[in-house]
Parts: sequence; C-alpha cells; structure tokens
Amino acid sequence: MSDQPLTLDAALSDEAVLSTYRRMFAALARDSGAVVDDPALVDIAETLFAAFAEAGEEWLTHEQMRFACRAYPADQFDNRLRVLKGLGAIREVFPKPHQLRYRASFTSVVGLMFIRRMMDDGGQSEMHRLLALEDLNVADPRTTMEEARQSAANLARAFRLWALELITLTTGTIEELREQAPKLWGTEEIARRAQSLHGTILTRWPELDRVCTDLRAAIYAYSDASRRAAGRLADSAGTTRNLTLLPTETWRTFTQTAGKERLAAVLDGFVFDAPAPWHDPAAIARAVDEAPRPAPAQPTPPRSALPDAGPEGSLDSSPTAALERLAQVAESVLGSASRVALADVLGADWPSARRLLADLTTVDLRPELPYRLTWSDDLTIDPAREPSWLSHGYLERVP
Amino acid sequence: MIRTDDATAHVLARAGGPLPLGAGAAAPAGMLRLTRPDSTGEALPVWPDGATPSLLEEHQVAPVPVERAGETRRVLAACLRCCWTDQSADPWPGDPAPVELVLDTYRALIGRTDDLMRNWARGALRRLHDSAWIVMADGLVTLGPRCALWPVKSYAQLKELVRRVPEPERAALTVVADADIIAAATADTTAVAADTTAVAADTTAVAADTPLAVDTPLAVAATAGTTAADPESPAAGAGAPARTDPVPPPAPSGEPDPTARHDSSPEPDAAAPRVRLGGQVEGGAAEFDDLLGGYDERRRAELVAAFMAVEHAAEPVPEARFAGLRDPALRHTLGEMLARRGRTLIPHRERWISGYDDHAAARAARLSDESVSEGRPGGRGGAGQARLGEAAKAVLTLVLVHSVAIPRAEGLLPEDTWASPHPTPVDELRRHTQVPIGELEAALRTLRHAGLLTQVKAGEEAGGYVPGPQFHRLTPAARRRLQEELILAAGPHTPLAGAVRARRSAD
Repeated sequence: MSDQPLTLDAALSDEAVLSTYRRMFAALARDSGAVVDDPALVDIAETLFAAFAEAGEEWLTHEQMRFACRAYPADQFDNRLRVLKGLGAIREVFPKPHQLRYRASFTSVVGLMFIRRMMDDGGQSEMHRLLALEDLNVADPRTTMEEARQSAANLARAFRLWALELITLTTGTIEELREQAPKLWGTEEIARRAQSLHGTILTRWPELDRVCTDLRAAIYAYSDASRRAAGRLADSAGTTRNLTLLPTETWRTFTQTAGKERLAAVLDGFVFDAPAPWHDPAAIARAVDEAPRPAPAQPTPPRSALPDAGPEGSLDSSPTAALERLAQVAESVLGSASRVALADVLGADWPSARRLLADLTTVDLRPELPYRLTWSDDLTIDPAREPSWLSHGYLERVP
Repeated sequence: MIRTDDATAHVLARAGGPLPLGAGAAAPAGMLRLTRPDSTGEALPVWPDGATPSLLEEHQVAPVPVERAGETRRVLAACLRCCWTDQSADPWPGDPAPVELVLDTYRALIGRTDDLMRNWARGALRRLHDSAWIVMADGLVTLGPRCALWPVKSYAQLKELVRRVPEPERAALTVVADADIIAAATADTTAVAADTTAVAADTTAVAADTPLAVDTPLAVAATAGTTAADPESPAAGAGAPARTDPVPPPAPSGEPDPTARHDSSPEPDAAAPRVRLGGQVEGGAAEFDDLLGGYDERRRAELVAAFMAVEHAAEPVPEARFAGLRDPALRHTLGEMLARRGRTLIPHRERWISGYDDHAAARAARLSDESVSEGRPGGRGGAGQARLGEAAKAVLTLVLVHSVAIPRAEGLLPEDTWASPHPTPVDELRRHTQVPIGELEAALRTLRHAGLLTQVKAGEEAGGYVPGPQFHRLTPAARRRLQEELILAAGPHTPLAGAVRARRSAD
C-alpha cells in the first residue's frame, strides 16, 4: 500500500472498497466511525489469519504475529491487534492473565471470506447460493409453513431493497451507476431461480399466497429495475463503453462455444463492399516490367545447314597407332639415308616446321623407336630466312 | 426482377459486384450497361468525368491494398493476351481462352514452370474472378465486366502491353486443340443459355410495365418466344452513349476461330444465337451533371478528386489535402453526390471517408436477402453474388470479438472504432473455435481479399488478423448496431441484452 504512488485513481478505488465495507457492517457498527478507514487494515487481519492457519496448534506469540505482519507499520499493527482482540477475533489460548499465545476465531475467518466474495461481485453469487439453499429448504419435508413464510418474507425484503438501490442509482450520476450497477443487477438466472422458489412455496402452502404475492412483486420490481439500469447505462455509454459491460470471460466463452451459425448471425444485415481492386493499365504494365525474368538460356553454337557427320570415327584409337604414325614421319624425313640434317628437311614456313620438330622430338623421346635427334652447338642466323635462328641438328637412324 | 431506385442499385453493385440486368432493362444512372446479344446485361458503376481510382495515386492517397498485386496483375496481363484477340475492338468482351493457355502464357511471362508458380497463378485467377475482372467457368477464361472500365485512352498502353507478353512455347502434342476446347465448352453453355432466356422471358413482363429506356440496338433474341421490349419507349435523354460505337453483334454464322472445327459443335437450330461472347458497352446516364454543372472547372475537378478519394482510399482522408473536403459548401455537394449512390460521409476527427448510408444499406440488405431466398436460377443471378458465406461471417465475428470486444472489455481500446491494433492469433481461430478447419483457410482468404481482415505479420509464429480497412467505413449507427448484435449474441440473457431488445422494440 505505502510503496504505491498515491494517484487519484488509487484513492478512488480505495474509497469504493471502504464504502462497501461500511455498508456491509452498518448493521453491526456502534457508531458511524467504527469501520476501518484504510483498506490495508483489512489486509493486516487477513495476513494474521493466514499466519494462524499455518501455525496450527503451535498458536502464535505476539512477536510471531508482529513478524507475520512485518510489511505493515508498527502503529497500524498494534491498533489492529487491539481491535481484533477487543472484539474477540483473536483470543488468548487459555483465558488467564499473562497469556503469551493467541488463537484466531473461526467465525471471523469465515466472515472475512464472505466479505471478500461480496467485494468481488456485489453479492450476486451470494444471492445465487441463498436462493439455491432456500429452494432446498422449502422442498425439505421437515420445513414448517412458518419457516417458509419467514424465508419468503426475507427474500421479498432483499429483492425490494436491491431494486430500490438500483432505482436510486439509475436516477443518480452515470459514473456511480457504471461503478455499481453491474454488481447489483440481476441476471435472468437469478430471477428464474427466485420464481421457481416462489412456485415451490405456493404449491406446497397455498395459504401463503399473500406472502408469495409480495415476493412475486418484489422479483418483478427487481427485474424491471435491472433492465432500466442497464438501459440507462447502455444509452449513456454510447458506442465506446458498452462492450466493457460484458466481462472478458463471457466473450471468450462465446468465441469458443458458439457454432458457425450463431457467429455468422451477428453480421446478418450488414452490407460490406465486394472485393473490387482497381487494376490500372499503367499498374499492369509496371507489374509485367517487374516480372521475374526467365534465366537466359545457353546459346546453341551455330551449325552448318548441310548434313555433317562430324569428325567422329576418324581417330584411330588402337594403342600402336601413335607409334606407327611417328615412324612414318621419321621415315619420310630420312628417306633412304641414315642421317639427315634438319636444316635441309625443315621447310620455309614456320607452322609446318614447328609441327615436324614437335613430331621429331617425340620420336627422339620414344626409346622403342630406332631414331635419334642429335644437336650440335652451331647456330645459323639469317634475318631474311625463316626460321631466322636455326640450331644445327641431325636425325639419325639407330641400328 | 426486383425494382430498385438508383441509390440502392449502386449499393447492391458495390456490395455484390456487377448487377445483372433483365432483357432491355436500362442501367441505373451512373452505370455502364454491358449488353449481351440477347439484350440482357450487367450494370457496373462508373466514375464522374472519366476518372478512375488511379487518381488516388496522383493525390498520394493509398488505395485499398491489392492482395499480391504484382502477381495478380501479371496474370491479368496473360488473360488479356489470350482473350483480346481482335485489337481493333474494345478489350471487353473479347474471346474465351482455355485456362491452360492462360497459365502457359503466364509461365512464359515469368519463366518459371514449377508447381508453386502454378498454384500462385491459380490463386490470382480466382481473385480476379471474384472481383469480376475475369470470368472463369468450364475451363475457360473470359474478360470480366470490370475490364470494360479501362478508359479508351489507355488502350494504346494495353496493346503495347499485350505485344510484350511472350507467346507461350507449347508442346506440339496438345491432346485437344484450344479451339476445340472452346467449341466444346460453348456447346455446354448453350443449354444453360436456353434456361436463362426463359428467365428473361419472365422478367420482360415485369420490365414492360416499368418505364425503362431501351437504347440497345440489339434485337432481343427471338428464341424463347420473348417479345422485344417496346422500342418506342422513351429513350434515356441524357444517356447518350459515352464512347462506344455500337459494335454489331456477332453474326450467327461467325466462326470464333478460323481453325475451329465447326462440325464438332452440335448446332441443330440455326436460329439459336451463338453463345459467343458478343456484347457491347453502353455509357450510362451522367448522374452528377446537375450538381457539378454550377462549378468552374477547377472546383469540379476538386470535387471529383475528393469523391474518388473518400470512395476508394484505404483509410480516412485528411481534409487538409482536398479542397472538396475542406470547404463546407463543396463538402455539402460531395455529400449529395455520395447520397445518389447510397453513400454518406463519415467523419473521423479531421478525416473523412465514405460508407453506406444506413437506410440505403438496410434496403439493399433486404433486397439481397429476398433475391437469395427466391433462389433465382443462373448461379450469378440475384444481386450480391459476392455475399459472404456463413463461415466467412463466423470468422469475421470471431476476429471482431478477439481484436475489439475483448481488448475493450479489458480497457485497452478506448476509442469508438472497430479498427484494432490487437491481432487475433490464427492459432486461436484454428484451435479454440467451432469453425471447421477446412473452412477456415478459405474464409480467411475471402475476408482478406475483400479488405475485411488484414493480416498482421510479426516474427515467425506471432501475428494474426485484425479487422480490415472496410471497418473505417461503418457509420456511427452501424458501429452501434454491430456492438449491440455482438452483445445480443454473446450474452443473450444479460440485462444489457434485455435493454438492447427493449430499446429496439420501442423504436
């Protein structure tokens, strides 16, 4: 409590809580200042009761109680303990002087539970329980007519007072109505239960019709007041707040349990636009321009228009083919001679000379062929001739 | 045939797509009449002074987003390439083409051949069909009524576009030639056409007692014994055809394609009209001239720009950007223009958008309910062919509850709006509702396409759906009614629902 910043909203909600406390205990209070003036004081009591429940038969000493309530200021705690002791909610374990251990009163704990529940829903669920219990009671064969009369009269009074409060709210400020009304107004469920109770009493004791008429009138008055309060709220809340008047759980239940038809029925009678996007010619052209381009295909090499078998098959792939060709080259160079100068056999054009030199070098490197190249250190240079630089060498046949 | 005033007809056309017209029935003011050879037709709203929604681009106002815009438009280009065979005529109606040919053309355009591309293209075809840009039936694609809205001055651009779309490479071994597919499909529809002319016979009786202008040069098909509507009925005075020279209806002997093998199509009755896509566009009566006539050219253009902006923008338009919204006198005229189309201006602080006028919407809803309950034949019959299905409505309601009602009940959404920043997770829709999963995906697709839902993407798994841009267009009364309907549905036994019912019965 103390560590929260004190905002106007917090103060307002505290005041709402306190006013409920005051109203609940108005019947029991000795004077108008007798109810707590700080909601934290109730929290102290609750903390204490929780500590007592945990302690069990060990009970609690004053120090232990103080420890349990260490979150609250000392003076608030002392004040609370004095009141709780004075009213008998906390008592000595044994009624004798200088008692150090204390126990809590069961009645007070139950009372506090009841208070908390009343805070939550303004007593709607209490009314539900009460009606259910009364229904069981009047159906019980042991119940006397006098008890039934008493019960009907009590309920009639409760409904009348409830209705009166709602009517007052309905004519009051809208803020108060918004705050209080949803806690007070009855659902159809409550009205239905009350009417079934009324029916049970009337069939069992027809002579109670006078009390029952009272009860019936009270139920109707209450339903009517509920409807009027809701109507005023719905009208004033306009289009923003109305949805807040149904709790989140109701909405969730609706989405999870409602069938397709029920969901669809919400939108019956609403007119929405048909899909009608505009495709402007410029936009279409842009879209076509931005189309992902197909990957460029590999260009096929140009082919002759004439039928062409290609070089396939012209290669002799037998293992001796290379050797035979080399021997042929060497023989054609040598002719009948056993030694020939390269300068004589190389022609004037360098490309064919180059090819011949390459072949002869290969021949020289093949030990199985009977030809060798020998090179001397002489070099002829003649710029006018091709090749202009010529090493002197000989191809020889080796026996 | 249901008789409607022009405002309601415009509401029906906006909510349900092109309006079917009976034989000889004139189009409502402000609509094109797309006339078929049997003189029935469809009516489609046009915009004042030859404007198109591309005007929004000039004013830098975002139009309602098009789903997968690039892909959809490329597929439309492929359709145009296949269907607009005679480029000396208007693109609409064009010729039918097999869906496979369109798909092949699209494939050649983007150079991809995988299955994914095929599924995407099929999705785009479906969306184009749903929005009346094409008509897809019996394996054939034809250009839809909306193609008639392209302005004539853009035809050169369209021709250039068609020229650029490559010819598809098709395997030589097609089992059935395209022309045969078309011939077979049209033979099928001959029977259907006989039915629809019978319906037309019914409707001409109704049409005859309404003073309808018949300015169609086409003779009513004489097959089913229908009498041509009285040609001497008063011609529409202001309804001079805006641009079309009457294209003669295709002669009964006309071959759809020189390569078509005629012997395969059974045609015993020579007098029966060939169910080829004949048709012509007739300009509607100018509807705003008396309102706009008093303004000089600049103000007139400002009014038209504001009209287009509020009618087609995705979000409410700031009034500072449009003189037609800023100036109270012009805004008043704009309101009158909109009222003639059953629309009304909806203020959002200093922004404006248009929505259905409550009374016109109620009338239209009643009419389309009637036409549905009458179970009119012909499939497309009845206004509101684009009505939401039950599953789509259910999904929309779920999103409204999750994205608006619950956040508001928790105090997270203070404003009076049905737009919401709180997405409904798809998982919530999939797992925790009674809507069958099989119907969920299709419903979401429809709702997305109509701008009723917007998909919100956030990270890998998060994200979901929020109410779409259409929810800006609800009038205060419609917003209130939507809220009340939700309360009545979710908590029918609460006093709040009781109060709503009591107030309604008192009204």
